Amino acid sequence: MSIDDTALWWARHRAAGPERVPPASAHPTGMIRLVEPDASAVWLLPELPDNARPDVLDELGLPGIAVDQPNDTARVLAACLRCCWNEPTGPVWPAVPAPFDHVIGVFRAITGSRDERALHAAAMGAVRRLAGAGWVLFDEDTRVVRLGPRVASWSAAELSTLRELWRSLPAPPAGGA
Amino acid sequence: MSAVFDSALAELNERHRDEVLAAFAALEHGREPVPEAQLLALRDATVRRDLQRLLYRLGRTLVRVGSTHWTSGFRDDVVARLAAEGATAQSRIDRAVLVLVLVHSVAIPRSQGLVSGDSWTSAHPTSVDELTRYTQLPRGEIRPALQRLRAAGLVQIAPPRGRSAVTDGPAYLPGPALHRLTKAARERLEHELILAAAPDSPLAAAIRARRPAAAPAPVAAAADPATSTTERNEDT
Repeated sequence: MSIDDTALWWARHRAAGPERVPPASAHPTGMIRLVEPDASAVWLLPELPDNARPDVLDELGLPGIAVDQPNDTARVLAACLRCCWNEPTGPVWPAVPAPFDHVIGVFRAITGSRDERALHAAAMGAVRRLAGAGWVLFDEDTRVVRLGPRVASWSAAELSTLRELWRSLPAPPAGGA
Repeated sequence: MSAVFDSALAELNERHRDEVLAAFAALEHGREPVPEAQLLALRDATVRRDLQRLLYRLGRTLVRVGSTHWTSGFRDDVVARLAAEGATAQSRIDRAVLVLVLVHSVAIPRSQGLVSGDSWTSAHPTSVDELTRYTQLPRGEIRPALQRLRAAGLVQIAPPRGRSAVTDGPAYLPGPALHRLTKAARERLEHELILAAAPDSPLAAAIRARRPAAAPAPVAAAADPATSTTERNEDT
C-alpha cells in the first residue's frame, strides 16, 4: 500500500497529537520541526495557514471542542506560561522547566481564596488535561512542568496578547523566573 | 503559507482559496458537522472537490452526515496504516469504555429496531451505573476514561431527561467525533462488534468469509472488543 508520506504524518498528528521523533528521521512537508533543547529529539507540528486555524471557528460562529473546567484549565495554562516562559520577549518554545509547586503558587494567586485541597485537585486535573492535549509536558514523578510542543502553534498576534498576560500575572514564588 | 496548502490550492483564485480554507478549518477544528448551507466550499460541488483534494493530501476525507451536513474523517487507507502502527491517543481502557457505550447506546437499540441507519451516534443514553455494574474493567478507571473520551469528543454527557436522570446518575451518549467515521469505517466497526459479541453466529461467519484471505481477523482480537473494534475509530 503506498500512501503519501505527507498524508501519513499529518494523519498521525491528528490521531495521536504532536509526535516526538529522532532528530534526523523525518521531514514531512508542511510541518514545523521543534528541536528539543538538548537536540535529542524533534517534535513535529503541522503548520496551518492563518485562515485555516482554529480561531476561524469563532468567526463562523461554530463550536469548538469543549474543555472540562475551562476556566481553571486556562488559568493553569497561564500559570505554566508564567513559570516556564522565562524570556517573554523571545520565542515561547522551548522555554524552561519549572516545578509544579511554582505553577500552583501562581494559580493560587490568581484564583483567590479556595480550600487548599480543592486548589491542588483543580490544578492537577487541569495540568493533566493540558498534558493530554500537548499544551504542557508534565512529569508526574518529578512534578516538573514544561511548555508542550503545541504552544509553538500560537501566531505572532496571539503571542503578543500572551506577553501582556504574562506581565499582568504575579511572579512565581521562591524568586523563580 | 504552508507548502502542502499552497500546492493543493495553487489553481484556485483568491476567493475560492479562502472559502476552501474556511471550510477546512470548520470541518477539522469544529465540534459538530457543519451545515452545507453555511459555507460555499460545502455547498458548491466544484469548490467542494478542491476542499476534498486538500483534505486528501493531509490523510483526511470529506464525510457527509445526513443529507445536509458535512464533516471530515480519516481516509480509509490511512486508517489501516495508523491502526497497524498503533497510532492512537486512546488507551486500551478508554477504547474498552467507548465500546461499552457504543454497545449500550447504539448496538442494542439497533438490534431492537429502535435505531435505524448505520450511524454510530445515538439518542439512547448509557448510564454510568450500567457501565460499572456489568463491566469486567476496574471500576475506578471508568470515570477517568469517560473524562478523557469526553475531551476527545468520543462520548458526551446525555441531556437530563425528567426523573430518570436523577435516579440513575449521569449518563453518556456517543460523542460528535463518531460522525467522522466514513461509511467503510462505520461498517467495519459494526462487523468487529458482531465478531466480538457473537463469533459463532452465521452473521460472523459471513463477515469472515467476505474478508480478504490475506487479512483474517485473529481470533484473539475478535474476542477482545477493547482492542479490536475501536482501534480504527479514534478521530480527535
